[in-house]
Amino acid sequence: MPFLHPNRRTLLGGLAVLLTLPRAALSQEQLNVVATTGMIADATRQVGGDRVRVRALMGPGVDPHAYRQTRSDIAATAGSDLVLWHGLYLEAQLEEFLADMTRSRAVVAVANTLPREVLIAHDDYADRFDPHVWMVPHIWALVVDAVRDALIAADPDGAETYTANAAVHQTEIAALAAYATQTLATVPAAARVLVTAHDAFNYFGNAYGFDVVGIQGISTNSEAGVQRITELVDMLVSRQIGAVFVESSVSDRAMRALIEGAGAQGHEVTIGGTLFSDAMGEDGSYEGTYVGMIDHNVTTITRALGGTVADRGMQGRLAA
Amino acid sequence: MSAFWQALTFQAGYNATLVTLGAVLLGFAAGAVGSFMVLRKRALVSDAMAHATLPGVGLAFILMVALGGEGRNLAGLLAGSAITAGLGLLCVDWITRHTRLAEDAAIGAVLSVFFGIGIVILTMIQTMDGGRQAGLEGFLLGSTAGMLYADALVIAGGGALAVLAVWLLRRPMTMVAFDAGFAQAMGINVRRIDLAMMGLVMGVTVIGLKIVGLILIVALLIIPAVTARFWTERSGAMLWIAGALGALAGYLGAVLSTIAPAMPTGPIIVLIAAGLFLFSLLFAPLRGVAAAVIRHQRFQARVHRRQGLLALARLEPIHDPLTLRTLRRAGLIRADGVATDAGRAEAARAARDERRWDMARFAHQDTALTGRYDGLTPIDAVFTRDQIAGFDRLIGPPQGVQS
Amino acid sequence: MSTAQLSLATAAGQMIAPQPDPDAALSVRGLTVSYADKPAVFSVDASFAAGAMTAIVGPNGAGKSTLLKAALGVIPRLSGEVMVFGQPLAQARARIAYVPQRASVDWDFPTRVIDVVLMGMYRKLGLLGRVRIGHRNAARACLDRVGMADFATRQIGQLSGGQQQRVFLARALAQDADLYMLDEPFAGVDAATEAAIIAVLKSLRDEGRSVIAVHHDLATVADYFDRVLLLNVRRIAEGPIATAFTPAALQSTYGGRLASAQIDQLKLGRT
Repeated sequence: MPFLHPNRRTLLGGLAVLLTLPRAALSQEQLNVVATTGMIADATRQVGGDRVRVRALMGPGVDPHAYRQTRSDIAATAGSDLVLWHGLYLEAQLEEFLADMTRSRAVVAVANTLPREVLIAHDDYADRFDPHVWMVPHIWALVVDAVRDALIAADPDGAETYTANAAVHQTEIAALAAYATQTLATVPAAARVLVTAHDAFNYFGNAYGFDVVGIQGISTNSEAGVQRITELVDMLVSRQIGAVFVESSVSDRAMRALIEGAGAQGHEVTIGGTLFSDAMGEDGSYEGTYVGMIDHNVTTITRALGGTVADRGMQGRLAA
Repeated sequence: MSAFWQALTFQAGYNATLVTLGAVLLGFAAGAVGSFMVLRKRALVSDAMAHATLPGVGLAFILMVALGGEGRNLAGLLAGSAITAGLGLLCVDWITRHTRLAEDAAIGAVLSVFFGIGIVILTMIQTMDGGRQAGLEGFLLGSTAGMLYADALVIAGGGALAVLAVWLLRRPMTMVAFDAGFAQAMGINVRRIDLAMMGLVMGVTVIGLKIVGLILIVALLIIPAVTARFWTERSGAMLWIAGALGALAGYLGAVLSTIAPAMPTGPIIVLIAAGLFLFSLLFAPLRGVAAAVIRHQRFQARVHRRQGLLALARLEPIHDPLTLRTLRRAGLIRADGVATDAGRAEAARAARDERRWDMARFAHQDTALTGRYDGLTPIDAVFTRDQIAGFDRLIGPPQGVQS
Repeated sequence: MSTAQLSLATAAGQMIAPQPDPDAALSVRGLTVSYADKPAVFSVDASFAAGAMTAIVGPNGAGKSTLLKAALGVIPRLSGEVMVFGQPLAQARARIAYVPQRASVDWDFPTRVIDVVLMGMYRKLGLLGRVRIGHRNAARACLDRVGMADFATRQIGQLSGGQQQRVFLARALAQDADLYMLDEPFAGVDAATEAAIIAVLKSLRDEGRSVIAVHHDLATVADYFDRVLLLNVRRIAEGPIATAFTPAALQSTYGGRLASAQIDQLKLGRT
C-alpha cells in the first residue's frame, strides 16, 4: 500500500495482530453441530459441553416423521461441522437431504449403531425397526455413547472432555432408569395399558411391562381409519381402560373421537395427560431436556393409571 | 359380510355412524348445489375456491395460536377457509372482468397461487413450537378418523342450510343458468344470483373439508350432477337426483371406509360416485351409451327393412348384406333372396304408403303435416282416413308386387 | 324542420336530436355502450312509438343487439337514460318482454318446452309460488298461439331452429307485456315459422301493444314494420317507414356499401 502514510500502516498491522489474538488465546474453537431431534441435541449438549455449539432442526412439538427441511435448516447445516441424526428411518422426509449433506461433512446416524438385539422390528416392513429408542433410558444410554464417539471422531482434541461429560450424563440416565423401573412398577396390573396417538411406546411397553396401543402406526404418516377407532373403542370398553394419553407433537383429534366413541357406549375415558413422544418440552424448561422429558412421561403415566408417584417427579422439578 | 351389513344399518359403532351420517348429508348438499354449478357451466370455479381454502386454514391456525387459544378450533379454521375461498372467487371474478384472460386461465392462476401460498404456510406451521399441529394436512384429503359429534353437527347444519337455499332460489338459478340475458331483463339480478350460487358452493366446500378434503370436494360437487343428467331431462328433477346420488356415494363410501382397515374416506366416496357415473353413462335408459346403441340398431333395422321392401316392390336387386339379413330374419325373403308371400304383401304396402306420401306432399297444403315425412313414419300416423282416402282417389287402385 | 330538410340533414350524417316523446313505449337518450373502450353504440337518442311495430336496422356490428340489451339493462351502459312508458326502466320492467337471440342459449339444457314458457311467468309465480292449472293452461295457450301446442312436453334440444324461436316467443307472450323487444327473431328460421311469427307480432300490435325488433332483412322491413330506426353506432334516422326508410338514409347507414340496384329493389318510402 504505497500511498498509505507509514503511521497508518503501523496502525493497520497492529490491528491485524490484535484481531488474531483472541483466536490464538482460545486453544480450541467450538464445534458446530447440527442435530435433527431435540433429544439428540440435548445429548450432544450434555456430552459436548462448551466445546460444541448445537442447533436442533426440530423444536418442541415438531413431528420428526413428517418434518421436511426448510431453507434456514439447509443454511445452518451447510455451515456446520457435524450432523447428528437419529436414523432407523425416523426422519423419513429428510433422508435425501442428509445424503446430500454427507458429501462435505461428517454425518452420523447415532441410533444406527445400536445392536440388533435391543431393537424391535417394525410391524409392517421386513427390514425396518421401530425408531423410538429414546423412550427407555438404558437403551438411550447406548445412543449417548454413539454421540460421544461421533464428537470424538470429529474433534479428537476434546476426547477427554467428551468422555468425562458422557460419564456424568450416563450417571443421570442410570438414575432416571432406576426411577422409571421403580415408579412404573407401582401401576396395578389391570391398568397397565398405554393408549397413545401413535406407536411411539413399544420399547417402553417392552421394558416396563405395559401393553401399548397406538391409534396410528409407528409412523404418523400412516393414516388411521375409522375402523381402527372402532376397534380401539371396543378395546377401551372391554378392558375398562380409564385413561388415554395425547402426544405433544401429534394432533389429538383422533383421541377425542375415541373418547367420544367410548362415551357413546357408556364408558367414560379421560385424558391422562400429554406425553412427550417424538419431541421434548419447551426449550429452556426442565421438560426440554431428555431427563425431564422421560421424567415427565413416567410420572404422568404412573399418576394417570393409578400408580404411586411424587407430584413433581424424580427430582421435584416437573412443572406443577 | 356381516360387518358390511352392520355398517350399512348404522350399527358399526358410534364413530362409524357419525362418519356415515356426515357423508350422506354432505353428499346430498354437494349434489344439489353442484347441479346448478354444472348447469351454469362454472364447475371449475369451485375447484379454484376449494384450493383457495388452504391458506385460510393455515392463517386461521396461526392467528388462533398467536391469540393464545387452541390452534385446532374447527369453527375458527373453517371460518378462515371460507374467507380465503371467498377471496379466491373474487379474484377469479375480477380477473375475468378486468383483464383479457378467459375464465379458465383465471381459474388456473387463482387455484395454483392460492394453493401454493397455503402449502408454504403449512410448511411454516410444521416448524412452529407453540400450538399442537391441528392435523391441517388432514384438510387436503379429509381425515374422518378424528370425526367428532361437533363436526357432524356443523356438516348437518351447514348442509341443511345449503339445501334450503338451493330450494328457495331454484327458479332464479335455473333461469340464470338457462338464459342469463332473459333473466336479467326479467329483473333478476344475475350477478347476485351467481354470487349466491358460488357462496353455496363455498359453503359446501367448507363443510366438506373434514370428510373429503379440499382436493376432492370438487369431484363430489360435479360427478353426481353430471350423473343425474343421464337420468332426467328436467332440471328440477336433476337437482334432487344429483343430491340423492351424492348421498348414496357418501353413504356407500363411508360404510366401505369404516369397515376396511385404514381406507381413506374421501377418495372412496369419490370412487363410488365415479362408479355410479360410469354405470349411468353406459346403462341409463334415456341417454346412456347402451340405450343409444340399441336405439341406433333398431333405427337401422327399420331403415333397412323399409328400403328393402321398397326395393322388392320396384323389383330391384338387393345387394346390401344388412338389408338382406333384416328381411330374411323377418321372414320377408327366402334364403336365396326371393320374396316370400308375406314379403310381397309387405312390399306392396310399403310402396303404397310411399305413393300416398308423394301425393300428400303434392296435394296437401299444411307443411306442418307434410313436413313429418321422414321415410319411415307411416302415413296413417299423420293423416286421417278421409284424407288418405282422398289421396287414394288420386293415385288409383293398389298394385301388387309381381313375383 | 321540413321533411326535405330532415332527409338532407340525415344524408349529411348529422345527428339530430328529436324531442323526447312522453308517450313513447321506449325512449332512450344519449345512450352510449362500449366494449373494451370502443363504442358499440354512441350517444343514441331514439323514441319508439307505442302501439307500433318498429324495426332496428343496420349493418353487422352496428350495435343493434347492443342497443336492445343496454336498453333492457342486460348489459351495462356507459351513459344515457332509458324510459319505458315514461317511467324509469327499473319501475316498468313488468311491462316489457324480451326475446333474446336463439344462439345465446345452450339448447342441450335439461328442460321441456312448457317449462321454458313457464319461466316467462316468473313474475307472477315468484320464488315459491305453486304452478297451478291456470298457469299451465295459460302457458299452453301461448304455445298454441305460436303453433307449438303439440310440443309442450318435448325436450328443447329436439326442436328445430324455427321451433326454438317460436318457443322463445311463447315465453314472451306468457309475460302479457305491453312492449315486446325481439333480437333478430327471424334469423335462421324457415319460411313457415317466419310467417307465423310475424302474424303473432302483428296481432300484438293490433291489440295496442308495442313491438321493437332487431331485423336483418332489408327486403321485408316495409312489409313487416310500421317504423324503423336506422343505426350504425350512431342514430342515422328514425320514424315511419315512409319518411325514414329512404335511399339516402340507407346509404348513410350502410356507408355506401349498398349498391343502388339493391336499394331500388327495396320497398322504400318516398321523400
